[in-house]
Formats: sequence, C-alpha cells, structure tokens
Amino acid sequence: MDTGYLDIVLDPLRSLRILRCDRCVNSILEKKKIQLTLSLLLVILFISFSLVAQTIKPENPIQFKIKNAGITVDGTISDWMVEVDFDPKKLAQSSIQGTANPVSIETGIKLRDRHLQGREYFDVKKYPEIRLQSKSFKTNGKNTFIGIFELQIRAVKKEVEIPFSVANSEKQRKFKGEFVIDRLDFGLGEKSLVLSDEVRVYLEF
Amino acid sequence: MKIKKQLSRIPMWLYGCMLLPLLAFGLMHQGNVIFKVIEIPRIWTDEAMKDWELPNSNPDFSAQPVSEEFYYNLPERVIFKTYPVYHPEHEPEGYWEWLHEQEAEVVLDESKLLTEEDWIRAGELLFDYPIDTLGAIINTQHVRNPDFYKATNMPLTPEGVMPFAQWVVSGKGKVYLGNLSCAMCHTRVMEDGSLLKGAQGNWPGDKAFAFALESDGASERGIQGVTNALFGSPFVEGDPHGQLLSSGKDAIIEAYKAVPEGAFGRQGTSILYPPQAPNLIGVKDRKYLDHGGLGQHRNIEDMMRYIAMNQALDFLNFYGDYNSLGLTKERLYSGQPIFFPGTHDRHSEAQLYALAKYVYFLTPPENPNKSSELSEKGRIIFAEQGCVTCHTPPLFTNNKLTPADGFEVPDEHYDKYDIFDISVGTDPGYTMKTRRGTGYYKVPSLLGLWYRGPFLHDASLAKLEDLFDSDRLRDDYVPTAFKPHDVKTKAVKGHEFGMELNDMDRKALITYLLTL
Repeated sequence: MDTGYLDIVLDPLRSLRILRCDRCVNSILEKKKIQLTLSLLLVILFISFSLVAQTIKPENPIQFKIKNAGITVDGTISDWMVEVDFDPKKLAQSSIQGTANPVSIETGIKLRDRHLQGREYFDVKKYPEIRLQSKSFKTNGKNTFIGIFELQIRAVKKEVEIPFSVANSEKQRKFKGEFVIDRLDFGLGEKSLVLSDEVRVYLEF
Repeated sequence: MKIKKQLSRIPMWLYGCMLLPLLAFGLMHQGNVIFKVIEIPRIWTDEAMKDWELPNSNPDFSAQPVSEEFYYNLPERVIFKTYPVYHPEHEPEGYWEWLHEQEAEVVLDESKLLTEEDWIRAGELLFDYPIDTLGAIINTQHVRNPDFYKATNMPLTPEGVMPFAQWVVSGKGKVYLGNLSCAMCHTRVMEDGSLLKGAQGNWPGDKAFAFALESDGASERGIQGVTNALFGSPFVEGDPHGQLLSSGKDAIIEAYKAVPEGAFGRQGTSILYPPQAPNLIGVKDRKYLDHGGLGQHRNIEDMMRYIAMNQALDFLNFYGDYNSLGLTKERLYSGQPIFFPGTHDRHSEAQLYALAKYVYFLTPPENPNKSSELSEKGRIIFAEQGCVTCHTPPLFTNNKLTPADGFEVPDEHYDKYDIFDISVGTDPGYTMKTRRGTGYYKVPSLLGLWYRGPFLHDASLAKLEDLFDSDRLRDDYVPTAFKPHDVKTKAVKGHEFGMELNDMDRKALITYLLTL
C-alpha cells in the first residue's frame, strides 16, 4: 500500500514539533496505517454494498434464445452496460438500469444479424439503444428477487417482470436473471409460421 | 291431389323467392358450382394502372402504360383452333397438306363458360394459344428447317413435337406459325419427354431468335432495331444495351446465343442480364411477379393485369419520354393502329380471367425424391443455416423484395411493399439496368427445385451443387449456365450461403432441397 500521502498528513504535525520522537512517530504512523486501511476497506465495502450506483460493463453478453423452424437459435448482444444501485435491505430505494446496443447482435449468421439490425427488427439507425429501467423490487426467497422493469425496444416501452438472484462473494456480487418477451409486442418482425413469438433472454453481470 | 291443388294456389312470385337461396349460393353438383354469376373485373383502369407496378430503380423512368381508353379500343382476340408443330423429320405424312385444307375454327365461346372447370379448361387453351402470327420470334421457314432444331438443341416430345409454338389456322390455306403463347416460356420438356406446363420452361428462345436472324440474313440495322425494341433502355446508367447495339451484328447475335435454355430475354429485360424463366406452378401464392417484383400480386385482377401487360403490350409503355419502338405519345394516341406483335389487339376480360384461373390451378407433379434420413438431416441444416428466414416454409419464400447492391430503398417503399432490407449480393444488372428493373429482386420460392434449372435469377448456375461451390466466387470461374457472350470467365457472386458446409452436410442439404 502506498503510504506516501501519510507524510503529507503528518508533515504539518512534524513542523509543529508535536511529533519529535521517531519511535513515537513510527508508532503513530502504524496506528494511522491500520486505521486508514480499515477506513479504505470500509469505503470499498460501502461502494460495493451501499446505495452508491455502480456502473458495470458486464463480461458476459446478453444471451437470447428463439425457436426458428424447430431449431433453437442462440444469439447475443455483447455491447451493454448496467448501473446498479441495489441494496437487498432497501429495495424501495434500489434501482438497476441498463442499456444495450443492438448493433452488437450476433446469431451466427451475418446476414441474419444485419437483418435484425434493420427496420423490420431493431432498426438500429432510429433506435440505437435498448433500455431497461427498474420500477420496483420484491424479495422472492433467499437472495432471489423479482423486479418490475420498464423495457424499451424501438419506441415501445413495456413492463416486464424479471426474477433474478444475487450471489455475493468476497470479490463481487453476481446478478443473474432471465425473462421471456413476446417480440411482436415490441414490433420486432412480424408474425411468422416458423419463427416463434417468444424470446427468452438471459442476463448476468 | 289435395297437395297438388294447394301448390297450384301458391303465386308464382313465391316460387321465385324459393329459388333465391339457390341463386345466392350457386347450384352445387358433385362439389362443383354449375351455375354461378361471375363478375369479371375491369382490370385496365387508369386508376388501377397508376400504382400497380413498382417504380423503376430510377423512378424518373418508371413505366407509363397505355391509357384505359386506348386499351379498351383494342379489338379482342379471337381464339382459333391450333395444331402441333412437328420436327420436319417427325411430321406425319401428309400433315402439312392436311393443315392447309382445314377451315378456321373458333374454339372459345365465353358465353359457355359456366363451371370452374370450364374456366380452367378455357384458361389452358389460352395458355397454349399464340398471340402472334407475324413471326415475332420464329416463322414457318425456321420450324420447317431441320437445321433449326440442331442449331438450337430444341427439346422435343417423344412424338417429335416442338411444344413451344403452334400452327394457327385462320382460314382454309391460311396456316401461320404462332409465337408468344404463355406456353412458349412456361412449358418444360422433361427428361422423359413429358410436358410440364407452367414450369420454368426450357425453350431456347434466344438461340432460336439468333438462328432466325442469321438464316434470314437480317441486316445489322434490322438486328439493332429489333434488339433495341426488345431491350433498349438508354436511361439506365452506362446504357449497356446501347453499347451492345454499337458493338455490331455479330456481337449481338452472340449475345442472343449466350442465353441458355431456362432463361429468356423477354421484352423489357435483357440478353446481357437474362431472367430465368419463372416457374408458374404455385404462382397463386406469390405476392410479386417478375424477378424484380415489378407487378404487385394482391388478387386475381393483378394477375390478369400482368398477363395483359406482359403479352407484349409493354412495348407501348413510355419511360420518361422514351419508347423502345420509337413512338411518340402523339403517334400512340393518334388512333392509327400499331402493327407490332402483341400490341394491336388484346385479350378480353373473360379470357384474362380464364388464364388467371388456369395458372392458379397449376399444381406440381409428384416429386420422385422422397423424404429420407439424409433429407431429414438436410432439413435441420436448412433451419440451422438460417435459410428459413427468407425461404420460409410452407411457401419456401417470405414473399419479400430484397434490394440489389447499389439500390437505396426509398422510405415510402417500406410502407407500400414487402421489403427485406438486405442485399444478398447477386448480380444487380437485371434490376438496375433494364426497363423492368425495380432495384429489387424477389425472394424466390424453392418449391419444385427438382424439376427446375438453371438457377439464380440470371440462370448462371446449371445445378444446385454449383450454388454451394465457393469456386464460383472467383473471377476465373466459368459459369455453368448463362455466361455473357463477351467474357470467358465470370465470378457468380452473391447468395453465399452453405459454402462452409462439409461435403456430407452439403449433400444432405441438397437432398432435402430436391424433396421440396
């Protein structure tokens, strides 16, 4: 740990000759170091666990699955961000919001991806963002919750219910949820004999 | 007796009322309507013709069809009995002389068309009926010359009949070769010699025309004139057809010869970008007609319009101030007839209705390729590869239009037409550089692939296997079907799907496609 800044704190005291004895200084310094280390830990914990919003760029992409001609197509949207301000003890004050860039959609077939970006689906030129904004939360068992979110795809805003779990580890917290939307509700394509209306979406951050 | 007496007291008007339900629902006989009042629509109205066709890829030069008044002033066609054309070496003895002894026989009486079957039968008659006896493509001398069949590699039936033209007898001794029936381009002589009506035809029409031009000793000017009438489109970028005309007689004839069976440079299209002859089987379910989706197909009236227009009346269209016959609007509307094949008369509305009924009725023959373990594997690959997005079952097309490279979809088109806003990168020539070009290609149905070919809108690939061969993307590739007359090699670009499949998967996919 870089303690250089301690000298800056202590220098005025030294100059006032309050701290003359090196041993005393060292002892005070050690105490201060411990106190500061604890304070820093507290600050970190506070940032992690309190209602201070945290912006995350998740490692894992948003995943989705949809049945097409009897085959399940797996797709991802890799460019997305989440702002989390979530305290299980203060659900009323908590919030989670995210944005995703539909240009980063991938389904394994480039032409299909371009089609999905086009006017018939996400229309990325006109609607460059998919938005998700929490409205309320309730507990659903140990470390599991149900959130009511407003999901905006294209110009359509619609409430969706997302059950999710929160796993706390020493290093971080993991949110994991999944939900189903009807793509037609959001103007994504049209009714099809082969393409399912239902899309299952998986989020992990 | 008592009942009889009571019945006799019922007034006549009440008997009439009892018949009303029968009139309303038609009299049913073995499931077929035998009495039904059919209201045949009037199809060529100025209002309807205004936006039935899609605009040209350059909208300043969208087709302007003849007016309603002009159209309905054209005389209706009389349908005479026709007779088959034989290869001279297969012609029954005395047939030619016998033909010349026949009287004209009018074979279609619209007033006698009552049942659905009557209309369909009449439609088939009209489908086979040539609308031209002026020698629009070939004439009597050509088809009575054995060299014609050799030069064109003309498909024949086992009886030696050339099924793409007919003899029309319009009076005793008046025997004319009839051209330009629907059957000419939409009849396929199958490998076993049977005829498949409505299929992608295998009439080598452009080779036949090249033979006609050469054997008639047509002048350079004459060849340029007729080629311009067929394909002239000086308003398109680079004017490729103008360049072809200026390249001289021999080059033009070579361009005709380069068009393979299964494709045909119909008027308004091109021999530089020839369209594959469309498969009409299943056309009832298509939302657009022509490879470029030129004609909307929303109902039977649109189909009737398409037939009326495409049996050569589009020669009278103006594109801006341009008409390929060299007409001015003053001349067109002067009241003087225009003697050019297909433009001096018209089908009656009833004839068009019958024709439309017939093409709607066309059904595919039984597919000899049955479902198997391999085809089932192919079906899954078809779905996994995303083919279903465009070639969506059960029609195996999503019935949409895809823009060609270089065409920017105008905003208003999204609301008016069915647009799949992705180019698959195939040759844009047909839709960007012809009179019929819209800037789009329609997504083709894959139904009936087993009896069709060559493939792609420009008929450049002979077999399905060629479609999945990545070598076709190379500039040193020799296209297996249409290859432009002035090049030795040409990459067949676009629709680059399924090329990364291994041999087994590709075989499975093709096996499946041939079962459709």
